Amino acid sequence: MRPSEFEYHKADSLEQALALLQEFGDEGRPIAGGQSLVPMMNLRLARPAHLVDINGLGLDTIEKKDGVIRIGALVRHERYLAEPLIIDNFPAFIDGVRAIGHPTIRRNGTIGGSLAHADPTAELPLLCMLHDGEIIAASAGGERRLPATRFFEGAYMTVLEAGEMIVAVELPVPPASSSGAFVEMAERRGDFAIAACGVTLEHARGRVTRAAVACSGAGQTAMRAPQLEEALEGLELAHPDAAAAIAAFTETLNPPDDHSASADYRRALVGQLTEQALATACSRAMEAS
Amino acid sequence: MTQQMDRPKHIGARIQRFEDTRLLAGTARYIDDIRLPNMLHLRFVRAQMAHAKVLEIDTEALEDIGFPTQVFTGADIGDLSIKAHQDYPEMQYSEQPLLARERVRFVGEAVAAVLADDAYQAEDAAEMVFVDYEPLQVVTTMDQARDPEVPGLFDGWRTNIFVERQMKGGDIAQAKAEAAHVIKRTYTTQRQAGVPMEGRGVAAEYDPASRMLTVWSSTQIPHLVRTYIAEELGLPESRLRVVAPDVGGGFGVKGQVFPEEVLVPWLAMKTGRPVKWVEDRREHLTSSIHARDHSHTLEAYVSEDGRLLGLKADISVDVGAYSTFPFTAAGDPGMAAKVMPGPYDFQHYEATFRALATNKCPIGTYRGVGRPSAVFAQERLMDDIANELGLDPIEFRLKNVVRDFPYTNALGFTYDPGSYAETLEKMRDLLAEDRAAAEASSNDPDKRIGVGLACFVEQTAHGTPDFTRRRVPIETGYIAARVEMTPDGQALVDIGLQNHGQGHETVMAQVAADALGIDPKDVHVRHGDTLTTPYSVGTWGSRGGALGGGAVHVAAGRIADKLKAIAGHLLQSDPQKIVLQNGIAHPEGQPDRHVAVAKLARTALRNVDQLPAGMEPGLEAQYSLDGPNDGTYSNAVHAAVVEIDTKTGKMQLKRFVVVEDCGTILNPLIVDGQVRGGVVQGIGSAMLEHFIYDEDGQPLTVTFADYLMPLATEIPEIELHHIETPTPLTPLGAKGLGEGGAIGPAAAIANAVADALGIEVTKTPLNANALWHLARQAEKNRAE
Ligand SMILES: Cc1cc2nc3c(=O)[nH]c(=O)nc-3n(C[C@H](O)[C@H](O)[C@H](O)COP(=O)(O)OP(=O)(O)OC[C@H]3O[C@@H](n4cnc5c(N)ncnc54)[C@H](O)[C@@H]3O)c2cc1C
Repeated sequence: MRPSEFEYHKADSLEQALALLQEFGDEGRPIAGGQSLVPMMNLRLARPAHLVDINGLGLDTIEKKDGVIRIGALVRHERYLAEPLIIDNFPAFIDGVRAIGHPTIRRNGTIGGSLAHADPTAELPLLCMLHDGEIIAASAGGERRLPATRFFEGAYMTVLEAGEMIVAVELPVPPASSSGAFVEMAERRGDFAIAACGVTLEHARGRVTRAAVACSGAGQTAMRAPQLEEALEGLELAHPDAAAAIAAFTETLNPPDDHSASADYRRALVGQLTEQALATACSRAMEAS
Repeated sequence: MTQQMDRPKHIGARIQRFEDTRLLAGTARYIDDIRLPNMLHLRFVRAQMAHAKVLEIDTEALEDIGFPTQVFTGADIGDLSIKAHQDYPEMQYSEQPLLARERVRFVGEAVAAVLADDAYQAEDAAEMVFVDYEPLQVVTTMDQARDPEVPGLFDGWRTNIFVERQMKGGDIAQAKAEAAHVIKRTYTTQRQAGVPMEGRGVAAEYDPASRMLTVWSSTQIPHLVRTYIAEELGLPESRLRVVAPDVGGGFGVKGQVFPEEVLVPWLAMKTGRPVKWVEDRREHLTSSIHARDHSHTLEAYVSEDGRLLGLKADISVDVGAYSTFPFTAAGDPGMAAKVMPGPYDFQHYEATFRALATNKCPIGTYRGVGRPSAVFAQERLMDDIANELGLDPIEFRLKNVVRDFPYTNALGFTYDPGSYAETLEKMRDLLAEDRAAAEASSNDPDKRIGVGLACFVEQTAHGTPDFTRRRVPIETGYIAARVEMTPDGQALVDIGLQNHGQGHETVMAQVAADALGIDPKDVHVRHGDTLTTPYSVGTWGSRGGALGGGAVHVAAGRIADKLKAIAGHLLQSDPQKIVLQNGIAHPEGQPDRHVAVAKLARTALRNVDQLPAGMEPGLEAQYSLDGPNDGTYSNAVHAAVVEIDTKTGKMQLKRFVVVEDCGTILNPLIVDGQVRGGVVQGIGSAMLEHFIYDEDGQPLTVTFADYLMPLATEIPEIELHHIETPTPLTPLGAKGLGEGGAIGPAAAIANAVADALGIEVTKTPLNANALWHLARQAEKNRAE
């Protein structure tokens, strides 16, 4: 459990970091909080010859601008819990962040690292998909804007290319009459989830006008549920009974079947968590209005 | 044997552990802290296939690696191995080579040893060694192991059964004939790893000047390691020193002699340089020892009025690829068969038990050893019987527990006095409200509350005859202590236990201090080093307090007698009437006529001209205490209150209660700590920990991301209650205590789950996935 040999480079500016990443190509990797990369290196599942330390680049701001909230790639998980821009706009996001790991993990881990690492049941990838986030990736050649829903290609796989790194994530600010919730089921507190579900709602006159649903645990990446979202439009906040629509959604799922959970259990769990997240989102909406 | 204490003052006191200062301040020293000049670091190349012929070990790539390396393989080490045989004619022998020879039998078995100047280089070099394998048929299930068509794991084996034997007493046919009810069930407990915080580690150095070989190992049994190394390597034991420095937990895992402990000193001799190996977590999980993995089929014979008449047991344990030293492949199944009668009064019993060989990591001893699985089966069965007969599970147990002591069970084991009925009655009172609440919750289909308990006895501190009967290579079970006073009136206690969390450095000081009339802080307890401590079997089998404490008490008592004789002489008083306390000696009732203990010590060691005529100078005594023939029986009732969300499978442990009896309590803080720690591990067994192999024998749970240990967040407040029934069989009345906490939780929690869901629970772990499936099954059963 000792990493294979690597060279460490501390980047002082984004330009320098991108230049180094371009130079090293497949041999190089950014290191942010190190909470996923270092264990992978110790197990020799990752063996980058060069590490580019991006902690000193100042990419750690959360700002509101032109209808979006921009979160720098180096923002640590624990920051959101004290950040009014997130607390006020994204209740589901806050629920989700609380479920990430343990205090040390939340103090060190970054959003850029979590998205790039792409664990199938990590919270932040799901939350970025739920909130229609866009991931901003930079390379020496320029910037790309990638919708979160098209960023993840599989377990631990993203569309990022060698030499590219995430610099920020942008989440559109939701309208005033909106709500959301996130629930997950993990074997122990702080574990990666067996399954999770986030729901956001926009509403008017006691009814849902637009819904978003994202869940994990049903496949190799988190996913949105477009048909279910459509079915939820018009739902009464006071009677959030969507059992049939949720059942129709979970029937389409083909979750993994392995030693930690059966496919049947995972499918049922996604349905159950969706019900719970929806119920909480609805009751929060009612409380607010 | 009973030698009553005069005035216990420190024994029984709530004294905080002396060793914690060292452990908490980070000044403890473990194997990894050992740095010797010119030391080589060892990294193993470990088998990646579960069962295969080793065709070739290719080290060519090391030629260009750019730093010096040395590689040793099975071809270099001859027939050095771990042999753990029991002298039964039907036993099939396995030898675990220090490095695989020709064939590997589980993923993680050591194939080659790679040495380099630092640990990083050794790991880099080990990666460059390529092993070419030819796969052989893999045995991963108990059914495959019992199939006579499947080829044996070892040349000349008939089947993959290490051993199959019987134990019986009474007349099982008669019990069956008299029974109004026959209840038969099968219960299984999953394979686990032991997982102390510090993994294993060994360092060795040979000093040609003194012709001494010193071996440091993170072990619970330094003297047994010394003897094994000496015999296997043909070295004089007098020139071999084994040191177990601070050991970061053991839980029984470090109670075996491992191949690495013999290989590292061999490498140090061979290379002429010190060698160190420190295990990493993945190695620990795949290559040390595993535990549990039992399947028990029980058939109970019960009378019309709910009395147990007899029990028939069929016990299989998947013990993996090799027999482990010194408790052997038959250790776990034999223990389960032996303890299955438990706290219940019946005289007809028959058990068949077998150890099955598979291509998995060998099974060794882990806190409880066979008992957690046996108690799971026995106590699940008690609930299933109560249910079938429509009896209250507590009343049913009360009807059947042993009440008159000493009691001799169907196998001929004699139980010393305990409090089986009293602990149950106490628990009945403690659970009354929870049981009512559980009853009331039965209309809510989504949230179900259940209450379950487990009642058990634990044979502890067993003496030599128990091992002779089992013909196990451990051979004996005694603990020796040597007590010595220094001229300033302080004491040294050198004890053959190894303290790795049990609090021996405190408890032994309490015991010695009471005998010598001094402060426990003035007693220095040393352990874990064969150079300074008398030969003993080490720390296992819940014998530290009962036997180690007893040995210290007797040895210190002999010194106390001498101190009294000197005091009597100096004070012109009858030595029989001298009292030692608070650092002074005085005639009973005359504290003003006193002499300091320090003065007595100085007289014995320095001013010997003032000793009574003819008295030998010096203040030293040693005593070896063997366990009682059948051991001493601790008992406890554990209970769990659970709430299950039937839709998600999430279970919350709302309450965990223990009522236990370990005889005389030597230090209540330590007793509570030991029980709590054990319960936490038991909760891990019940709900989380599962070491899984796939059908090819590949391990799937090789990091803490997959092998789930209980976390503080999952553990409720553990409530402890004590009843003290001192045993007449040990000098202080103490019974064994260390393992009990881990024995009851799986059974108690499973019974609570069965109560909550209204379904029979037959296996652990009860994780979310399992609970969700049980809830579905319960729903289906109700619908039918
Ligand atoms: C015990 C434990 C429990 C955990 N539990 C959870 C949990 O419950 N939920 C959860 O979501 N996570 C969990 N984590 C993971 C944690 O959240 C990590 O912090 C996160 O996944 C990675 O963030 P990081 O900054 O540490 O990334 P690093 O470890 O530094 O990097 C991870 C990967 O991302 C790449 N990378 C980092 N930054 C960038 C960037 N800006 N652009 C491109 N690539 C980048 C690295 O090259 C590497 O491949 C846990 C971790 C541990 C150790």
